[in-house]
Amino acid sequence: MGHMKTILQQGKVKQAVIDKFVDKATGIVGADNISSGEIDLLSTCRDYWPVSSIWMLEGSVPALPQLVVWPQSTEEVSQILALANEKKIPVVPYGEGSGALGGAVPLQGGIMLDLKKMNRVRKLDALNQLITVECGMNGALYEEYLNRGGYTGGHFPQSLRCSTVGGWLACRAAGQFSTRYGKIEDIVVSLEAVLANGTIFRGRSVPRAATGPRADLLMVGSEGVLGVITAADLCIWPLPEKRHYATYTFDNLADGLEAIRKFIRAGTRPAVVRLYDAQETGNHFPELGDERPGLILLFEGAEPIVKAEAGVVNQIVSGHCAVDAGPDFVEHWLETRFNVSAASRLLQKDAVLDTIEVTTNWHNAYVVYQAMQKALLGVEGTMMASGHWSHVYPEGAALYMTVVGFPGEDKVGYYKKIWRVAMEACLAEGAAISHHHGIGLHRGAWMEQEHGQGLEVLKKVKAALDPNGIMNPGKLGLEEVQQWEK
Amino acid sequence: MGKVNMEELLNCALCPNICRCECPVLQATGREAVAPAGKARLAAMLQKEQLGWDEEVLDAVSHCLSCRGCTIHCPFAELSLCDELLNTRLVAKASGARLLQVEPYLANLRNYGSPYGQKSETAACGEKGAEILYYAGCTSLANNPASIEAARSLFNKAGLSYQMIEEDCCGYPAEIWGDEELARQLAAENLRKMKESGASTMVTGCPECWLTFTGHYPEWGLELPLEIIDASTYFLSLLEEGHLKPGQADMKEVSYHDPCIWARAAQKTAEPREIIGRIPGLELLEANSCGEKTRCCGGGAMFQLSYPDTAAAIARRRLGEFAENTAIVTACPFCREGLLQENRQVLELVELLDRTCQK
Repeated sequence: MGHMKTILQQGKVKQAVIDKFVDKATGIVGADNISSGEIDLLSTCRDYWPVSSIWMLEGSVPALPQLVVWPQSTEEVSQILALANEKKIPVVPYGEGSGALGGAVPLQGGIMLDLKKMNRVRKLDALNQLITVECGMNGALYEEYLNRGGYTGGHFPQSLRCSTVGGWLACRAAGQFSTRYGKIEDIVVSLEAVLANGTIFRGRSVPRAATGPRADLLMVGSEGVLGVITAADLCIWPLPEKRHYATYTFDNLADGLEAIRKFIRAGTRPAVVRLYDAQETGNHFPELGDERPGLILLFEGAEPIVKAEAGVVNQIVSGHCAVDAGPDFVEHWLETRFNVSAASRLLQKDAVLDTIEVTTNWHNAYVVYQAMQKALLGVEGTMMASGHWSHVYPEGAALYMTVVGFPGEDKVGYYKKIWRVAMEACLAEGAAISHHHGIGLHRGAWMEQEHGQGLEVLKKVKAALDPNGIMNPGKLGLEEVQQWEK
Repeated sequence: MGKVNMEELLNCALCPNICRCECPVLQATGREAVAPAGKARLAAMLQKEQLGWDEEVLDAVSHCLSCRGCTIHCPFAELSLCDELLNTRLVAKASGARLLQVEPYLANLRNYGSPYGQKSETAACGEKGAEILYYAGCTSLANNPASIEAARSLFNKAGLSYQMIEEDCCGYPAEIWGDEELARQLAAENLRKMKESGASTMVTGCPECWLTFTGHYPEWGLELPLEIIDASTYFLSLLEEGHLKPGQADMKEVSYHDPCIWARAAQKTAEPREIIGRIPGLELLEANSCGEKTRCCGGGAMFQLSYPDTAAAIARRRLGEFAENTAIVTACPFCREGLLQENRQVLELVELLDRTCQK
């Protein structure tokens, strides 16, 4: 590994400082839970950011940490952070590495705090429909645990099987059933976290207390820059009594969007609402063809409610000339919804595939799609730019664009271009730059345009909670990263 | 075994791994280096010579139970990461890299034909020249002679002649540890003894042995001189034909643990359940993950010898998927060994059957 090229490394902590840290940290977590082995450093130095994959094929890595530490309790996290803070060693919290924007790249070396050994369920409170779960629990195993007791967590991101509960909270994740159960920020009731100086704090799991801003919920979406989320109280629901599937096609996307707006406005909450443009409809459901946008819906809950909701939705979409295509396409989607194989195959064929999710209101939902698609198709090398809406709310919907290009030699240059034009189009049309993938490293460049003066507020919060700047430096657009320009 | 398939390795290396939840090694250790994609990246880097062999690298790519759990959700139909990692390890020997903790077991295989060392007693017994040869496997011989006694008792109750030979290891441990040459030597010795026995059918008590005989021996160009049949299928046929008649069970319920490779590589999930279902008064309780979606007990790829602490941690996780306070039945000596924790009663299927069969 000595010859492995690091592209974004901003520096490293002096080895003497690391050695002193190891001496003390070993006493906290034990020798088995701390490693400076090259294989461990190499394995935790990246996430699912496509740029990392491009560099991997070229024999490079974004940056390398100097240590991996596996804490097993909140108290151990506290002691490790306090020690790292004292020695000003950067710390990057790490779950299962499914982040798509380089949020886990250890730009300044230091410690990868791998939280996967904090994977216990502390308590299931059936009466109050709450579960207390540690941050490192794998998403699929979390849902499996709940299912065994007759419950669901209602949170099914495409990364379910390769992400952690803590990762969901840290990047403000959304699941495929979000229209019924909400995003993770709606599902979390309180959380436990540790600040850079080792302070442990917990919120209370009482409903909607009017007790000022919630310190614990400040950590939701903080992507490791404010501290480490160690556990959370999440809502749970009984497994649904009934499911109902429906598929419709529309003459055009605008009709589909308007139909969705109306059935949400009418008070229906299908768990799954996914409206694909014609191209994606053809890709995912070839039998539906690629000329009409397709909408798949999944309703679940008590049987009378499901029946009533499906009836209301059917009545509304029928008013928009929808064609009923039956339930089978939803079953197909359920079977294939976690499949993420395309990127691996395409990367080996010199293509770049990425997804860019944004969120916007109803008044410009279609315009944002048009603008982003036009911008992406305008980049030399782009072969395909398509989209779907998969999370809907009374005030608007999230748009998920997929782009594939064959850029030739300069894949990273192409990646930067598609993101630049997509973000510019998104902001110009009034959308927000992310719905659920978060900011990480790459999207940080647009945080000022996104937040305006609000970014300064966030920087002050960061400075107050992490004065030494040890927590996941260079992320969330809070500091400039000279090695990586948009 | 074939060469490493680079395209498939990279498919895995570039994937976020929706199989992570099904990798017992990752879930027990929390180490990214031993996640499916972590190992695939290392194997790919070795192939591309971006990385050189050393003990640390060999240790990481050896952290695979060969349980094929990663195939349950894998979107790449052609990919078998377990096999790619095995192929990768087979290259390691030539590089000089050694997994030090398995060296004594490899020496045992060379010297005594068993990874567990010198056999305490001879396995050879029964009626010389009998049509049926029972091959218990080295793990049962070393750790659970009761299962061998149960099999012999069942042959006797069915009124069938059988023989056992002085077994050598089937070769599976040597192969899994990257010593294909030794595996082939053991295979040749076994073949010689099989031929000498004069038997026409060999009943295997260990799923790994069955898979090695029926899968790897032909890959190595070795022709088997007799028919190989696994113990579950064989004893089920004796039940079906009325040679064995189970009586009332001495327990009300049991949980069945599907051995991972047995369920996924051989699709042997129905036969053990058929046997349990034929025992009057015995209710079968399924584990949370069962059938072809079973989870490894930690005993795959000889982990109980090479990584005993990890194997035990994986077994503890698996035990949490069974109903409490019930006996666990399995069809694999490794699984029995691994699940024998936390005061659980664990039986091999032949032991359960023998307890209930009067005839």
